[in-house]
Formats: sequence, structure tokens, C-alpha cells
Amino acid sequence: MSKITKSSTAEYFAKNLQQVGFSSPLKAVLTTLKEAVDNSLDACEQAGISPEITVEIEKVGAGSSKNTDLVRIMVEDNGPGIEAEDLAKVYGEYLASSKFGRGQCSRGQQGIGISAATTWAQLTNAKGAVVRSKTAKMRKAVQGQIDVDIKTNTGILRNKESVDWDKKHGVRVEFVIDGRVQLNGDGGLITYLEGTVLVNPHLSINYKLLETDWVKIERVTEDVPQVPSATLPHPHTFKLGEFITHATLFGKTTLENFLKTGFSRVTDASIKDFVAKGLPKALLAKSVSSLKDEEFKKIFLAVQNTDLQSPSTKSVLTVGEEALSKSIQRLGEIDFFAVVTRKPTICDYKPVSVEVALARFKNRNLDADEPVQLLRFANRVPLQFDKSGCAITWAIESVNWKSYGLSQPKKSLPIGPYIFAISIVSPFIKFKNASKETIDASDDLVEEIRRALMQAGQKLSRHIKKEFKEADLERKLAHIEQFGPILVETLVRLTKSNQTRKKKAEEGLKKLLGRDSQAAIEDLEEADKKLSEQKKREAKKLGLDEGDLEHV
Amino acid sequence: MSKLIRIRDLDVDIPKEARVIAERMLADLEKSKRPVLEAVKTSLDNSFYNSKVGYLTPGDKVVRTELNVSSVQKLARVVFMLEILLRNLDIGSVNTKRELYYICKGLIKGDRNLKPLDFEDQNESDSIVDFIGDMLRVYREELNCFANDRGGQTYSQQLVVTETLSDGSKATIDLSTLGTSPFQPKNKPQSLKLKVKKKVDFCLIVESEGTANTLQTMGFTRRNNCILLGAQGVPSNGVRGWCKLIQEQLDVPMYFFGDLDAYTMQNIFRTLKAGSAASLIRNADFSAPTVKFLGVLPEDVKRYDLPHYKVKESDPVEARALKKAKDALENDPFFLDKKNKGLSDILRWLLKEKIRCEQQSFFSVDPKDPIKTEKLILEKIKNGSYV
Repeated sequence: MSKITKSSTAEYFAKNLQQVGFSSPLKAVLTTLKEAVDNSLDACEQAGISPEITVEIEKVGAGSSKNTDLVRIMVEDNGPGIEAEDLAKVYGEYLASSKFGRGQCSRGQQGIGISAATTWAQLTNAKGAVVRSKTAKMRKAVQGQIDVDIKTNTGILRNKESVDWDKKHGVRVEFVIDGRVQLNGDGGLITYLEGTVLVNPHLSINYKLLETDWVKIERVTEDVPQVPSATLPHPHTFKLGEFITHATLFGKTTLENFLKTGFSRVTDASIKDFVAKGLPKALLAKSVSSLKDEEFKKIFLAVQNTDLQSPSTKSVLTVGEEALSKSIQRLGEIDFFAVVTRKPTICDYKPVSVEVALARFKNRNLDADEPVQLLRFANRVPLQFDKSGCAITWAIESVNWKSYGLSQPKKSLPIGPYIFAISIVSPFIKFKNASKETIDASDDLVEEIRRALMQAGQKLSRHIKKEFKEADLERKLAHIEQFGPILVETLVRLTKSNQTRKKKAEEGLKKLLGRDSQAAIEDLEEADKKLSEQKKREAKKLGLDEGDLEHV
Repeated sequence: MSKLIRIRDLDVDIPKEARVIAERMLADLEKSKRPVLEAVKTSLDNSFYNSKVGYLTPGDKVVRTELNVSSVQKLARVVFMLEILLRNLDIGSVNTKRELYYICKGLIKGDRNLKPLDFEDQNESDSIVDFIGDMLRVYREELNCFANDRGGQTYSQQLVVTETLSDGSKATIDLSTLGTSPFQPKNKPQSLKLKVKKKVDFCLIVESEGTANTLQTMGFTRRNNCILLGAQGVPSNGVRGWCKLIQEQLDVPMYFFGDLDAYTMQNIFRTLKAGSAASLIRNADFSAPTVKFLGVLPEDVKRYDLPHYKVKESDPVEARALKKAKDALENDPFFLDKKNKGLSDILRWLLKEKIRCEQQSFFSVDPKDPIKTEKLILEKIKNGSYV
């Protein structure tokens, strides 16, 4: 029999980097950038700092693997900085996270991503991450290269030195990796950066990608989102195995205490209800560490069979319609747009909030015959791959967009030069994979997204209707001009009539069709009126001047 | 150019009627009144069937096109096309629909003011020609617009056809003298007179042109006093008019032999026997109500153990045919008539069993006997195995 060996977490991930977003040179660059920016944004938000991020990506040579370039990715922030002794842990150790399982709407959760980026750099370029960090307390910044010791899953800080840095606090991280750069399209870097800008109105960003010029986008709000405090999980979201594992974290406490402190929505009254539903009363005072598996099963079933109050939605964060309205205008000149922020709600016993922005830009050259461009977000992080299996895509496809004036092939995305941005925020988003590219589609969640889309669709349709009426009027006026004379002239020829009759018929025709076009003008005015009423209502709701708001 | 042979005794003087319509439209315009054009509604919901008449006839429903900003384009196109057709009638010129499409293009090219009328594709000009026919209640052939003569290749040792040509002279064709060549009927069959040298026992119309040819090559018309013709799929106007002529002038039993599937029953056989909803105004001269469905019948599949296939519902064409069959059983007056219960029973059977069996499957019964199919056809006729 072959020898059974045990490998470290780092060893596991080093062999399975494709599972966490490093499945191709193209994705490697995007994932590295994404992990670094996510960390910066999370750090700034936790410290209440308005984030100011600089990104620079350039090709610095040929990659060591086939068909790749050596790509330098640099991300710098003005966050609180990381203490020197924590640097190696943050960038070089897997599962060393301050956020794991805390039930918060933070971008990062497990502490895998940035260490995976370091591993990728190390595997392809034999050099880990180069990090510079300064906290408010430091006089000089600390800088060094961090590698992952794959055998032991520990980070090693090499070439540590103190350097002058004219920044009060912040972190700068640089990776040089084998990769390929794609700027536009679903998996493009610009798509990622623009998406991030859209759902983070408080973010100022400077970026330079390859040979293009520096792009500077200023924040549109000074309010740093208050990430709501962590929430305890709801017992109905658990499976039996998870329930037992959760209990072991509580050690020697009594069952009653475990149920009340380990979960949300479990009160003294619910304990009584559990007993009524079959939880043996004697177990309540027993220590959870002494419970047997069969006893756990009984407890678990009683808990599942008891009606409990739905979890609180306080732990959910939203961008908000006003901020989203302002933020979307940073992406380019907008023809019109519609935003909807749904009230936080409960899907599958998890609090969740859905926000939708639909927009049409003036100069983006989106093809009118192509499906809409879809931007998906989970906890304010753009999702850029595998859209077909995602709850968001399913929800869009389930809406009948034809009734809102967009054409839509059966069970597909609608067609048109629009951007559809849909953001899901929840402390417990269920992803289909570790690389967090697709949201698992439960019926409840799809329905909630669908409702948000339909609300936005209604707003959009008022605009489309007005445009349609405009086009209709134009068409009708053109028809009168073009076909009227042909009709009369041919009839005059067929009947061998004289010029007097011709003139009279022309006048009669003008009168008739003039009535029709007047009716079309009135239709257009009516549509216009409805649209401006809608605009007024929206402006009032957001507390803005009507003039500030060009959207529906 | 001399006048063409008329298809029927038409009680409408087309140029006169067209001018009446144009005059009415112009007078309406002068009075600022909206001119209206009315055409027979050619759809199933305006189709009636009486087994004594034998073909689908139009009801009272009409398509009304009243002048407004949306319809002014259509009306302008109608009078534009009408003028072309009237000129054709006047000078005795004929065209196909495709040629008319290009004639329009040519006229539009030569006159800047006509540019808005331009047709993007032939469907657009075709629908205007059809509208004019339905409006005047005349056949397209009566507007000198003829279709391609597809299908209908006919073989017989007995049949003699006399054609009256446009200059009044006559041409006589004895089909027995054509060797292996078939006689090809034109789509103005009413200019033909039929005669038989010896009594003809039956006329067999085979869906597949190829199978008709095989039967002929193997001596079918030499051994039987008959007329044999191939329909080549959905029967063209030529085939439909030709069958009507055989029925009218020779009064012989007529049988159709084709595939057993919903498409053949509805689109091919029904059209041959009773016409179609799209050609409501012309069914009288373009259908042969006495034709019987010889097969393939559902009982043949069992009796001769014929190879057959499951209809693939995933195939959009077959799924559509099945859906159409279901609709036909609910809405088609031809299949709803109790005289045609035998035929609607076949449709119901096809919907239930979801199988299809091709006419060529008869060749599987005795693969070594090259004339087995002929024997089976004769056996079926003799035994009255038809619907």
C-alpha cells in the first residue's frame, strides 16, 4: 500500500490554483488585480477611510511559459497600512483572514485570494509579492518581498528594509507574473475597473493599463459605507454536519446557551418551542461537547421544524439609488438610465439586497443587435466569468423584456445597446466555486433579482416608449411626404383625370394625413408628459434638483 | 400580340373594374374622405367547406385597408403595381412574380420620386400582387402573372391532349408517342382538351416524382389503362389545375399515393383535393374533389409490416406539422366535415401514434420483386383500400 501523506493548505492551493481564479494567463492577471483591489477597499472601509487607489499594469518582458508576457501589476492604496509583523501572514499564508465566517458583507472572506496571487507570482516568476506598508504610527515604511513557504503554509518576508514614503499610511503591493492582458470584453481589466467604480461611489481611482494614458476617476460621495456589524447565522441555513461543527466551536457551554448565542433569532420562547417540537428538555443543560450524534440529530430536527423569526436584514449594505445614480455617470456620457435599490430581504433565510442599474451610454459603441452588456456584482466585486450559470443571468433571462420595449430571443439576454448592472449584497452569498465567479441560483434569490429587474424595466420602458413615439411621428410625417404624391399621381393616370382633380385630391390627402400626424404629435406629448412626471418623482425621492437628474 | 386563352368565363372586366376602384379612391380624396380597399380574407377563419361543393370557398370576411399615415405606403404600392398589371393585360405581356419584382425595381430606378416605393425583397411585392388578386377576386393568371410549372409530369398510353394556342391554332399531343418523356401540363390547363383512345380505369397521382418515374419505367402504364402523374411535393397551380381538368373531362377515379404523415395529409393531399385557405378565390378551378387517399394508410403499416419512424418532436419542422395537425382537427372546415371523417381519423391516428411512414416503404415488402409496389397499389385499388 502506498504511503499516505498529509499536505499543507498552501501545497493544496499551489496545485489547484485554477480553483481560485488562476486557470489561464488571462484570468491570472485579472484575479491578481481583483484580489489586491478588494483587499485595499476592504481595509479602507474597515478603517473609515475614503479609498484612493492607484493601479498600474505593464508588460515588462516575455513570460517563462508559452504564449505569455511577464506582467507587472501594482496596486497602491491609502488604507490604514499593515503592521510589519502581519505582512507575511496577509500575503503569504492561506486562510489567515480577519474576515473568515464573520457574517459581514466584506469583499474578501476566507483569506485565500491574495496568497494565491503570491503563489502564482512565485510559481511563474520565482518571486513573490513585493509589499510596502506604512501605518499612521510608523515614521518610515516597511518594504520587502513576501514568499509562500508551500510546505508549511507560512509567509516569509525577505529583504526587509525601511524606506521613506511620503504617504501617511497605506499599502503598495506589486506582483510580476506570467499572464496575458485583455482590456475589454467580459473578462477585460477595464470592464473590471469600471464595474468597481460603478458600485463604489466613494472610490477615487487612478489607473494606467499598458500604453494607454492615466485615467483618473474621482469619488462622487465622501461617505464611506458603514459595513454593518457582523451577524450571527440563522439556524435554518444549516445542515446537520455544519450544525455539529458549529457546536464544537463552543466547547463546554450548555446546549441552551449554544443555541442562544451561536445563532440569531433564538430566544427563550424559541427554546420552549424546540422542546415542544421534540427536543428532549434534559439535553438543554448538558454541555454541547458531551452530546452524541443521535442527540444532535434530534436537536437539529426540532430546530428545523420550529418556526423562527426571519433573520435581520440589518447586516446588509446597499449602495443606494442616489449614489448609484451619480456613480453611473462616471462611466461616460449617459443617454438615460434607471436605478432600483430593493429593500433588503430574506432569501433562503439569508439577508440579501439587490440593486439594479440599467443605462444607455452615448459614446460607447455598443451594438444595437448584440445582447446587452451585463455587469454582475457580488458584495460589490465584479463577476466576470461563467455568466451562464449565474443567478443574475437566470433572473434577467426569466423577465419578459419585450413588454418593456426591448427585443429578446427566447430564454436569452435582451438585445440592445444597454448596460445592465446588477449587484447582490449579502453576508452569506453562496458561490458555485471557490473563485467566486457565479452566484448559486436558488429560486428565492432569482425571484428577488427578477423583481428588481422588472421595476427597473418599467422605468426603462417609459423612455423607450417615448423614443418609439418620436420615431413613429417621424415615420408618419415622412410617409405623408413620400407616398402621398405617388398615390395621387398614379390614381390620376389610371382614371385619366385632369390637373384640377389632381390638385383637389392632393389637398384632400394632406388634410386627411395631417389629422393623423396631429394625433401622433399628441401621443408623443402624452408620453413626454408621463416621462417628466416620472423624473420629478425620482428627483423628489432622491432629494435632488430635477435638472440634476437625467435618468428615468 | 393576340389575346391569351382565358382560364375561365370571368364575369369581371379587370381593366374596367380597376378603373372603377381608382375613380372611387380619387373621388374620396377630393372630398377629404378616407379611401378604402377591400380584399377577400384568405385565411382558415374565412374558409367554408361543403362536401357537395368539394373545395374550400370564401366567407364574407374582408381585409379592409383604409387610408391613413401607416397604410399610405401600401395603397401607393397597390396602385403602382395595378398600373403595371393593367399595362401587361393591355399589351398581352406575361410575367412571373419574380419578374414583376424586377420590373418594379426598374421603374423605381428610373424615377427618383418613386424611390420610397422600393421593395426590399420579393415577399413585399408578392403580397401586393396577391392583394390585388384578392381585391378584384381574380386569379393571378388572369392578371397575366404566371407561376413556374413545377410537377405534374404525366404518363399514359391512352391520353391525347389538344392544346389551343394563343394564335388559335391547335397542337395535339398523344402521350403514347412520347417514349420515356412525360407530358408536362402548363398552369393554364383550361386551354387543354383531353381525349382517351381507350377507356381509362383510373388516374394515379404519386407524391414523389421519382417513384412515379420508377413505376412508369417498370411498365405501369403499359400494363394498366391509366394516367400516372407525379405531384412533386406540394402541388403547384399547374398540378392542381391539371388534376381538376382530368376529373372534369375524363371522369375517372383518381387516387393519391404519398407518405403517411401530417404534412402530406394537410399540405399536399388537402390542397390537391379541396384547395387551400391562401387560394380561396381560385379553389374552384384548382382542386380535384374526387381524388381519394390511397395511402400509405395506417392499416397498410400493419398489414404489410412497413418500416416507419418515430416523429422527432425535438425537430422544429415535425413539431410544427403536429401542432398544425392538432389545429386542423379543431379549426379546418375540411377536416371537421363528417364526410371527411376517414381523413381526419388518419390525422388523429398520426397525432396519437406520432409515427411517419414513407410511400417508398412499399419497396420493402418484397425487395426482390421490382413491381411489387405496382401490385400492392393495384391490390389496394381493387379492394377499395383507400379513404
